[in-house]
Amino acid sequence: LSPGAPVSPAEPISQAYSLALYMQKNTSTLLQTYLQCQGSPFSDPGFSAPELQLSSLPPAAVSFKTWHALDDEERLSRAQGAFLALAQHLQLVGDDQSDLNPGSPILLAQLGAARLRAQGLLGNMAAIMTALGLPVPPEEDTLGLVPFGASAFERKCRGYVVTREYGHWTDRAVRDLALLKAKYPG
Amino acid sequence: MALSTIFLTVFLLALLSLRTYQSEVLSETLPLTPESLNVSINSAHQRLHLQWTIHNLAYHQELKMVFQIQISRFKTSNVIWKESYSTTVKQNQGLHWSWESKLPLECATHFVRVRGKVDDARIPEPKFWSNWSRWEEADAQNSLGPDLLFLFPEDKLVEEGSDVTFCYVSRNHQHNISCYLEAAQIHIDQLDPRVSTFKLKNVSFIRRTGTNIFCEDPGVAMKGTVLFVSKILEEPKDFFCETQDFKNLNCAWDPGSDTTLPKQPSQSYTLFESFSGKKMLCEHRNFCNWQVAQDSQEMYNFTLVAENYLRKRRVSILFNVTHRVHPMSPYNLFFENISATNATVTWKVHAIGNYSTFLCQLELLGEGKVIQQQNVSVKVSGEYLLDDLEPDTRYTARVRCAYANHFWKWSEPISQKFSTSEAAPSEAPDVWRNVRLVSGRPTVTLFWKPLSKSQANGKILFYKVIVENPDKPSKFEGLSIPAPANSTELPLNGSSYQIHVTAHNSVGPSPASVITVSGDPGNREVEEERVNITEDGFSVSWKPQAGAPAGYVVEWCDRPQDLPCDPQWKNLGPNATSTVIDSGAFRPGVRYNFRIYGISTERMAHLLERKTGYIEELAPSDNPRVVTSHLTSHSFTLTWKDYSTESQPGFIQGYYLYLKSKVGEQCLPGFEKTGLTDDSVYCKHRIDNPEQKTFVMENLQPESVYEFLITPYTSAGEGPLGAFTKVTTSSEYSHALVLILLPMIFFILLFTIVCYLKSQWLKEKCYPDIPDPCKSSVLSLIKSKENPHLTIMNVNDCVPDAIEVINKPEGSKIQFVGASKSLTEAEFTKPTYLYLLPTVKNSPGPGPCICFENFTYNQAASGSGSCDPFPITPQVPPGQRGPLTSRGNLLKALEKNYMNSLGEIPSGEASLNYVSQLVSPMSGDKDNLPTNPPEPILCSEYKMQMALPLGLASPPPSENSRLSSTALLDQGEHYR
Repeated sequence: LSPGAPVSPAEPISQAYSLALYMQKNTSTLLQTYLQCQGSPFSDPGFSAPELQLSSLPPAAVSFKTWHALDDEERLSRAQGAFLALAQHLQLVGDDQSDLNPGSPILLAQLGAARLRAQGLLGNMAAIMTALGLPVPPEEDTLGLVPFGASAFERKCRGYVVTREYGHWTDRAVRDLALLKAKYPG
Repeated sequence: MALSTIFLTVFLLALLSLRTYQSEVLSETLPLTPESLNVSINSAHQRLHLQWTIHNLAYHQELKMVFQIQISRFKTSNVIWKESYSTTVKQNQGLHWSWESKLPLECATHFVRVRGKVDDARIPEPKFWSNWSRWEEADAQNSLGPDLLFLFPEDKLVEEGSDVTFCYVSRNHQHNISCYLEAAQIHIDQLDPRVSTFKLKNVSFIRRTGTNIFCEDPGVAMKGTVLFVSKILEEPKDFFCETQDFKNLNCAWDPGSDTTLPKQPSQSYTLFESFSGKKMLCEHRNFCNWQVAQDSQEMYNFTLVAENYLRKRRVSILFNVTHRVHPMSPYNLFFENISATNATVTWKVHAIGNYSTFLCQLELLGEGKVIQQQNVSVKVSGEYLLDDLEPDTRYTARVRCAYANHFWKWSEPISQKFSTSEAAPSEAPDVWRNVRLVSGRPTVTLFWKPLSKSQANGKILFYKVIVENPDKPSKFEGLSIPAPANSTELPLNGSSYQIHVTAHNSVGPSPASVITVSGDPGNREVEEERVNITEDGFSVSWKPQAGAPAGYVVEWCDRPQDLPCDPQWKNLGPNATSTVIDSGAFRPGVRYNFRIYGISTERMAHLLERKTGYIEELAPSDNPRVVTSHLTSHSFTLTWKDYSTESQPGFIQGYYLYLKSKVGEQCLPGFEKTGLTDDSVYCKHRIDNPEQKTFVMENLQPESVYEFLITPYTSAGEGPLGAFTKVTTSSEYSHALVLILLPMIFFILLFTIVCYLKSQWLKEKCYPDIPDPCKSSVLSLIKSKENPHLTIMNVNDCVPDAIEVINKPEGSKIQFVGASKSLTEAEFTKPTYLYLLPTVKNSPGPGPCICFENFTYNQAASGSGSCDPFPITPQVPPGQRGPLTSRGNLLKALEKNYMNSLGEIPSGEASLNYVSQLVSPMSGDKDNLPTNPPEPILCSEYKMQMALPLGLASPPPSENSRLSSTALLDQGEHYR
C-alpha cells in the first residue's frame, strides 16, 4: 500500500456509528433538561416550536428521496458541516446558560458533554472521509457574527433550537452511518 | 453728618448700579426661548433625555428659570406629559432633563417641546413665558430590524411588586396576536393600528432565570421577552461590630434575601467609617473585617450600605470599641485532685493588653442540668474548687468568659467532663422477709431493694448477709451474695434470728439493715378487710398498734397471679396509720392483697391487718357451672358450689338468675320481668348473698321446659349472658306409674324365675312328649316274640297308588320325622321305591301330584321335606332333589294349587301320586330298584302324605337336598 492510501473505512464507520448511537440515547434528556430550566412556555408539557430556526444552523430535516440520493461525500460533508456548527452553537448555548442559569450545573454539564461528543463525531467522520479518500472540509466559523446583544428570550430560543437540532442531526447521523456501515462492511 | 451723607451717597449709587444691571438683564434676556433642544432615547432605562440651552444670557450671568416641558405620543397634539422644571441657568450651559416612559419607547414616536420663564426674584414682575421650542421627535422604531413582530421592553429588571407595561409592534396589518405569561393569555389594549400594550401589575418573583412573556401571530411570527423580577433588597439586620483583640473589628449582619439575577449581580455591601473617613467593600454578604487603626481610635461610626441595581439600603452604628470586646474562648481546662466529693478546676484566658480583667462563669452540669454556677474574676489563669459533689458521678464543667471592664458578650464556652471517685454506700439496704415452711422446715427469704445511685456511691459489688442467733451471740453465719441479686433464702430452725444485711462497693460496706426473723411463720388468722381506692391508688389504713414502735410495713404483690410472687413493701413510720400504695403494675380486675405488719424494736414483724381490693372492679368474665338436681314435677334445685368468689375480677355481690319467659307468661314468685339486649323477655331473680350457691326453683309446671342462666355480678356489672340451660320438669303421674310398674315388673320376673326352675314339671304337666310308636316298648316285645316285620298300623283301609317302602335296616335309628335331624344323618337315608301300579297316561307331561300329609302325626315333618313336592327326574338321584325352603311356602302352595288342581284337571287325566303313610322298611337307592329286589321290610313307619300338582315344581334341587323320600309315579311328567 502506498502511503496515504485509504485504509479500510469499516473501522472508523463502526466507531462513528457506536458514538452516534450513544449520543442518540442522551439527546432527548438534554432537550428536556434544557427546556425545564427555561421556565414557561419552554417547560410547559408538550412544548414545541418547529418554526423556530437558526440561520446559522443547517436544519436536519430532509426529504427521504434527497437523503437517499446523496453520495458518500455529500452525506458525510453535510453531517460534518452540521456537527461543526452544532459544536460551536453548543458552546454558545453553554455560555448563554451559564449566564442565565448559573444555578443549573446539570444542564451546563450536559451541554458541555454534548459539545464534546459532537466534536468526537466530527473526528470520526473525518477519519471515515480520509479512509474513503474524500477531501475533508476545512473547519469553518459557522457562527459568524454572533448577536451578543441578543435578548434573554432570544438566547433561550436559540438554545432550544440548538438542543433540538442536535437531536435531529444525531438521529440523521445514525441513519447516515448505518447506511455507510452496510455499504462498507468490515 | 458728613459721614452719613457719604454713606447715603454710596448706597444710592449701589442701588442705581443694581437697577441698571437688572434692566440690562431684562432687556437682554426677554424672551429666553430654549434652543438647541436635543432628545435622545435610553432604551435600557426607557428614558428620554432632553438637552437644551439658553443663548440670550449675558456672560457669567446666572438666572433662575422655570421650564415647561410637553411630551406627545404618536402625534404632537396627543400630549401625554406636562412637567415644570426649575433650575439656574448659565449662559450657553446645557440644561438636562430626563423622563421615564412607562410605555417602552420603541413602540411609539414621542415629541417633545420646551418653553421657559424667568423665575428669579431679582427680576420684577411681569414675567412671561417664552415661545415653545420646536417639537423634537424621538423615534426608536427606526432602529428596529426587518422582523414582523417586536415585543418590548427586553430583559427588563424590576423589583417585586412593580407594575410593568409591555407593548408590541406588528408590521403585519392583518395580525391576530396573542400574548402569554406563564401559559396564561394576557389582555391587550390597542394603542395604534400597529401598536398594542398590556400591563402586568404587582409582578412577583417566579424564578431566577426570569419570567417569560411571549406574543405570537400564528403562522407569522413569535416574539418573547424576559422580565427579571428581583426581590426587594432588604435593609441589613442585626448589624454589629466587635473585637477579640483590639486589632480587628468583626462586623456582621443579616443580609436578608439574595437579589442575584442574571441581569443583576448579588447585592454589594460597603462599610464606611465616618471618623476615619475610611471605606471598604465587603467580600462577603454577611460579614466584614475592619482593621483597627493604630492611633487608638476608640469611637467608631460605621455605615453599612447594601446596594443592587435597583435599590440602596444603609444602616449605621456608633460605638466605643472597648465596649465591644468579645473574648476568645478560654483554654486549658483541667481538673485536679478529684475525690469523691471535691475537684479543682483550672483554665486559662487569652489576655488582651496588660490590664485586662475577665469575668469567667464556671458551670457544673450533671445529667445535662446546671448544678452549680460560679463567677470568677480572672487575669490570665482561673481556678476554682468544686465541692459538694456526689461520689461516683459524672460531671461536666463549662467555662466562658467576658471582658470585665465592659460586659459585651460571653465567649464561646469550653467544657470538659470528669467523674468523682466512689465512696462507701451511705444508706442501709431496705430489707424485708418472707417466712414459710419448706419441707416442714421454716425458711426465710430475704428481699432487699437496690440502693439508689445517690445511696450506693458506686457500683454495688455484693451484699453480705450475717445471721446471728441471739441465743448464741458468738455464732455468726456470713453470706456474700453478688449483685445484682436482690433476695436470698435461708433455712432456719425454730428459734429467732437477727439478720444483718449490708451492701458493698469497692470502697466499703453500707450501714447494716437489721431484721429479726422468728422460725415461726406466724401466719395467725387476721380478718381480711376491703381496702379503699383513691385516685392515687390503694388507700391502706390500719389501727395504730402499741406493739409497733419501730414503724409499719405494708406488703403486697404487684402480680399476685405469679407464684411465688415478688413481694413489694413500703416502710412507714411509727406514727403512720395509713398510706397510699400506687404501682404502675396494678391492673383492673386483679385482686390485690395487702398485709400490714407492725415492727417491734427488735425489728421483728407482726402481722396486724389484711386488706384486699381491686384498683378497678370488672364484671365477672365467667358464669358458674350449675348442677341441676332434685327434679320433680314442680321444682328442681340449682347448685354451683364449686364457683370461687375469691378469684373473680371484682367482689361478687350476688347472682342473677334468669329464666326465659314466654310472651304473656307471668313470672314465678320472686322473679321480675326484664328485657335483655336481644329483645327477649326474661324473668330475673336476684340473689344478694354471694355465698348462697344453691337455689330451689319452685312452683313450676309439670312436664314443662325451663331455660335458666345464673350469672354473678360485681359493682362493675354482671357476667356474660351465655347459654341458657334447659330443664324439663317431670310428669305429675310419673310417680304413681312408677309405684305400679315396679311391683309388676318384679312379679313378672319372679314368675319367670319360678317357671324356669319348674320348667320340667310344667312340661310334664302341660305338654308331655308324644310317644313314638317305633320306640314303643310294646313293639319291641312283639318284634322279639312273634313277627319281626310287624308294624303298628294296618294299612288295609288305604288303596294306595304307590307305596313307598323304605328299607330300614334294623337297628337304624334314623328317622325322618324329627325337624332337628341333622343333614348328615339324612344323607344316610336311601329310600327304596316300589312301583306297584302304572300311571293312567304314560305320555310325558305335567300332571297333578297330590300329597297327603298327616300333620297331626308329626308337625315337624312337614318342614323337613319328608313330603317333598319336587318332581324328580329318573336320572337325578333322589339325593339331589331340593327341599322346599320353608314350611310356610309349602302350605301356601298347597292351599292354592291343590284346590285348583282338583277343580280344573279332568279326572281321567289327573294322576295322583300317593305317598304312603307307611314308611317302607326298605332301604337303598331308588336306582337300585331293578337290580335290587325288595328286601323283607324290617320296619315300616308312617310318613307324611302329600299330593302335589307337578306344576308347582320348585327350582331344581341341589345336591344337598336329599331329604325327600317322595316316589313319583309318572316320571315323564318331569320333562318339559
